[in-house]
Amino acid sequence: MRIVNPSYGIAPQGEGSATAGPVDWANDPIILFSNNKPNAKELLEGVRNRLSAIRRVDNIDYIAKGSASQPAPPEMINEVARKYRIALLALGD
Amino acid sequence: MSDAAEAELLDIPEMDADAWADYVEAQGWTDGLPLVVPTEDAVARMMDGARGDNEPFPAITPRQLIPTLRSLAANAVMAGCRPAYFPVVLSALRGVLVADYNLHGSLATTHACAPMIMVNGPLRQTLNINCGTNCMGQGWRANAAIGRALQLILLNIGGAKPAIMDRSTFGSPAKYTFCFGENEEESPFPPYHVRHGFNAIEGVVTVMSAEPNHNLNDHGSTTGKGILTTFAGAIASPAANTVYAKGPFFIVFGPEHAATLARDKFTVEQVQQFLYDKARVPVDQVSPENHQIYAESGHLPENGFYRVAPTPDDIHVAVAGGPGKHSAWIPSFGGTAAISVRVKPPAA
Amino acid sequence: MVIATETFRPLVLAQAKARKLEPHLIVVKHPVGGLNTAELQDRIDTAFEGLKLEMKG
Repeated sequence: MRIVNPSYGIAPQGEGSATAGPVDWANDPIILFSNNKPNAKELLEGVRNRLSAIRRVDNIDYIAKGSASQPAPPEMINEVARKYRIALLALGD
Repeated sequence: MSDAAEAELLDIPEMDADAWADYVEAQGWTDGLPLVVPTEDAVARMMDGARGDNEPFPAITPRQLIPTLRSLAANAVMAGCRPAYFPVVLSALRGVLVADYNLHGSLATTHACAPMIMVNGPLRQTLNINCGTNCMGQGWRANAAIGRALQLILLNIGGAKPAIMDRSTFGSPAKYTFCFGENEEESPFPPYHVRHGFNAIEGVVTVMSAEPNHNLNDHGSTTGKGILTTFAGAIASPAANTVYAKGPFFIVFGPEHAATLARDKFTVEQVQQFLYDKARVPVDQVSPENHQIYAESGHLPENGFYRVAPTPDDIHVAVAGGPGKHSAWIPSFGGTAAISVRVKPPAA
Repeated sequence: MVIATETFRPLVLAQAKARKLEPHLIVVKHPVGGLNTAELQDRIDTAFEGLKLEMKG
């Protein structure tokens, strides 16, 4: 029998895959991007403290989206993308 | 279920009901209950229920695919919808796709939220949507199938597969279906949709990412103030997402409670203000760790209490259900909004 | 680069796939929320070791 596929959908046009360029792990600025869930900030700051043993950390910054349950505003994401080469995101609990 | 766009039509072997149930389970298309077969003919009849609705849909998160009217209709068929229900399903979908609804967050969260659908306007009678006794329960095809169709669309086209994309710790019965009509006929207040800028004769769906209804019992109070005092205490829960993440919620008054409020001259705005002022969580009921977390997100106590709504307007008031001294509190996910969308009647 | 708990790994991968991304993913034990300072150290250790591996390429 012939049925209509209930999971059928069309991929939006013009969305290619994204790739990251090369980074300088010793010097490039890093943003620690928290999802604002409990302990996300502590986890990221713990990683930053460990990084101090192997790279400069004066250009490692921290930011948190406003609410754990809502997406980060596009302007926040764009600003982060403009200023930093590396983003370390705490995501998922 | 594949993540790639597949063929819209599938040729599959003829099969009996048991084999079909096994097939849809293997495909990951089901909510666990039996599904109607979305044959080409059945889907075409469903689409006819929305003829003239050519407004395109955006991609549905998290799978990020744009649905076709036919694939949407296939889910409505599977859910058991009559074609006349389909415009309501489509309007509900448009509502959850509004950015402020936060569909992605509400599907991926560990919270138990599901799309609540409330229907207003004369089409409630046309479609036999239950607005009275047991309106949030079982027994009415329109209520059951409309809510179920939206859930199947989010599962099958959106890709909100339980335990993979849908990470709810417990889930809830509302994830099967959660659709009811406002009992405009027994409400002493203007209908919800009229208070939100629509004409009384328009069909309107309002969606919110919500927990199932929590019962509010007050058999004893004989005044509107008494009822609201009881409810203010009941909804001031330190463990509700509306405190943790802030956001809107619904108080759906049963007609008897609503009549008492109206007799005592309470308007909807006064109800909202009363609950906004009196429904407060004492700081000593909130742990020190949560104090810190709330403070970091700008949610600070006032005079020793946390409020449970950002503003009085975030307390949404409606009337539904049948006889009895009960009302319903419908807390939200928090990071969501109540979105109202007009239902487009099919073109003549 | 994403730090996620093992429980949420499928969610991250599915979302990345939908967006045609190849995520650099560091997986730590679940949960992160609700842990005290001592318990969280294990997650920080794991995240840092994962990051060092990424840095080595």
